[in-house]
Amino acid sequence: MDIQNTQSQMRKGVLEFCILSVIRQGEVYPSDIVDKMKAANLNIFEGTLYPLLTRLKNAEYLTYRWVESNSGPPRKYFVMTEKGLAFYAELEKTWKELADAVELLTQPATPSDNNNQQL
Amino acid sequence: MKKVININFQGRVVPIEETAYDILKQYVEALRRFFANEEGKEEIINDIESRIAELFAETLKKGSTCITDVDVNNIIASMGRPEDFESEEENVKSQLGGEQKKQEQSYQQTTNQQSFNSGEPRKLYRDENHKVLGGVCSGIANYFGIDRIIIRILAIVTFGVVFLPYLIVWIAVPSSATQVIGSTRKRLFRDMDDKILAGVASGLGHYFGVSAWIPRVIFLVPFLSFVTRWSHWGLFDFPHFLSLSFSPGATIIYIILWLILPEAITAADKLEMKGQPVDLNSIKQTIQTDMEGFGGRAKKFGEEIKEKAEKFGNEFGPKAQQFGNEAAYVARRSSRGLGGVIALIAKIFAYFILGCVLFSIVAVLFGVGVACFGLLPIKDFIINDGWQSVFAWGTLLLFIWVPVIGIITWIIRKLIKAKRNSTLLTGTFISLNILGWICLTFLLASISRDFKYTSTANEEVVKLSNAKIDKLEVSLSGYSKYYKNRKHWLEIEPFNGIVDDTAYVPNTRIKIIRSNTDSFQVTVTRLSQGRTKAQANELAEKITYSIEQKDSILSLYKGIPINNTDKFRNQRVLITIAVPVGKRILIDDKIGWMHDVHVGFNDDDNWTRDFYGEEDFYWETGKEYIMTDKGLKRLSSGKYTYNSDEDDDDDDKNPEELKRELDEKQRELDEKKKELDRDIQERLKQIEEDKRKLEKTIDSTKAYRYQKTASLAKPNAIATDVSEEDIVSDDNMRPSMLNSFRIAG
Repeated sequence: MDIQNTQSQMRKGVLEFCILSVIRQGEVYPSDIVDKMKAANLNIFEGTLYPLLTRLKNAEYLTYRWVESNSGPPRKYFVMTEKGLAFYAELEKTWKELADAVELLTQPATPSDNNNQQL
Repeated sequence: MKKVININFQGRVVPIEETAYDILKQYVEALRRFFANEEGKEEIINDIESRIAELFAETLKKGSTCITDVDVNNIIASMGRPEDFESEEENVKSQLGGEQKKQEQSYQQTTNQQSFNSGEPRKLYRDENHKVLGGVCSGIANYFGIDRIIIRILAIVTFGVVFLPYLIVWIAVPSSATQVIGSTRKRLFRDMDDKILAGVASGLGHYFGVSAWIPRVIFLVPFLSFVTRWSHWGLFDFPHFLSLSFSPGATIIYIILWLILPEAITAADKLEMKGQPVDLNSIKQTIQTDMEGFGGRAKKFGEEIKEKAEKFGNEFGPKAQQFGNEAAYVARRSSRGLGGVIALIAKIFAYFILGCVLFSIVAVLFGVGVACFGLLPIKDFIINDGWQSVFAWGTLLLFIWVPVIGIITWIIRKLIKAKRNSTLLTGTFISLNILGWICLTFLLASISRDFKYTSTANEEVVKLSNAKIDKLEVSLSGYSKYYKNRKHWLEIEPFNGIVDDTAYVPNTRIKIIRSNTDSFQVTVTRLSQGRTKAQANELAEKITYSIEQKDSILSLYKGIPINNTDKFRNQRVLITIAVPVGKRILIDDKIGWMHDVHVGFNDDDNWTRDFYGEEDFYWETGKEYIMTDKGLKRLSSGKYTYNSDEDDDDDDKNPEELKRELDEKQRELDEKKKELDRDIQERLKQIEEDKRKLEKTIDSTKAYRYQKTASLAKPNAIATDVSEEDIVSDDNMRPSMLNSFRIAG
């Protein structure tokens, strides 16, 4: 077992969910997604982002529109579709369950502690 | 100091250092490879590229004059390299795992596997890892998935034929060591978009930066010589085979390159095919680096062969199967199948036949066209001004030259693949040629009308100054001293004597008949053709032809003078020479084959008979003939058998003459006999004398002999002396012989 391998497996699982949650907040430019994720201390290569976006778009969870930019050619802005929202809801539900489970398992904490964290 | 180039990158003009550009190109190419299996591959690459372009724009906005290596590397670091993605992308991971396993297998198989997996077309590289000389053979083996030993042995066996293609591939195909992703190195492909047969020529053209028709012509010229010069079909004539031009070698080279070179299928291939020009330096470098350590590698190759040969026995079964599979793959790759192959062969055959036919048509028409230009000086003597002249020019230009130019143009256009206005051109050429046919028809009709009528014949007797001579020599006058040296280019025989506006046409015919009198008689008949009977008669009247006798020579003029107002209407002069029996006639050598000598024995006026017909078949100029009751007979001893035949005929019908001859011969014989008798008697007398002399000498010698026997009784001692000397000399010999034996021992 290789630690890097495991780490990347773990990251990969949440990556898609994270990206979708950024897009859910409104129309977004891919590099903004990267910036936001970086701000949240979740490093991602832009090179990984684009194929993911394309795949999501092809699966009709996302759509995009061209937005004129001040400098240079128009830019692609991504937005979530209805189908994407439903997909996200499913993911979110799963994530919540997973997070709870992980928390329960990793932190043998008191219920009060638990409440504090939720706040 | 770095070179900065401007690139148009995703709709932005970016000034970028050349090295930075190379890095960028490699990166994009690596991404392309990485995402080769992705569904939205192009879109992903496009998105990434436009983001990079945006980042470039930001960098430039900050005040940089251009994008540097550092900038590009930073951007790539932030975007992530394919290696970085691999840890995050699951499908990539599985691919990677598979690849790791395969890496333990041979390099050759991984290259194949990679190309199969990624779905990318395989590329031909010279294999740096397994090279002996340039890595060409192993590269080809990788490309086709065959064991490189096989290719190498094939290459060595067929060295003579393969030598040039090997060089071309060595120079033009990049080595796997320089297989940098997205390199600017040019590669040799077959251009499938601009092909006539297989795109080899156009691919070579792209590679060497010349138009496609140049390699095409280089291949075509030897091909034509291949077709026209059958002597070069010796397939194993190696040194000759090697030379590209004027040997079938070029055709073989074409076929080999066809088999070896990959087609340019993807856009990347096409870009690489047309890439940056290749300079001599890069070629030199390629060869130089490859030559280093050649000896060691060659030795290794020898060992490898040995090893393989041992292995081969054991592995033949599975290997053969593998080879079968790979061959099937190769066949599939060419995506043609049997039908396609047959169609291709048919295509080649059709081109071959078409080439031969066109070549011969052009050659014949060209020859005729040139000959017609050669005949131009005589045009005025035949063709009337006005329409007829127009038709003549029309025939020459439109009927003969237009197809020549048309076909040549067509071939050139085919070679350079010109497409514009093709139908217009074809139409023009065809309609011009039809016009040419019309001109030809009118010309022939018009000319035949000019020759329609023949003048009435009227015989005139030529006055001879001395008709009773024994021998008449017929000769030609009017020729200059240099008559014999007149062999100029394009001098057309019937009109060889053009002086200013007069042409001398040797349109004369000589007929020799038997005279009823005892003197020679010469008659002349002047004839002509014409549009009408009257015109023909008029033209016949106008003929001035001089015949003069000077001593025993009857000189005819070299030709009938024709001027360009009256034109040539087959004016001709028929000369009859009546030779009395027993008299001789000689036709001079100067009257060559153009002055037909017709030898007739009766008085029929059948001049139209073929002049090389029965009677005059054996006629020879420069030989003396004698007129007999039967006809002409050659005097000088000939080599032809017909003479004896004629003599046989003569025996039956001229006994008197023969008897006379016989008597003469008899007389001669008697004389000879008498002479002989006299001779014999003289000889006999001499013999008698000699006998007597001999007897005398015998007597004297007898006396001498007695003396000799007396003296011979003593000299025996001398004889023994001699024998002793012999023995001594023998002894002398022995030691030397022993010596020689010793030496031999």
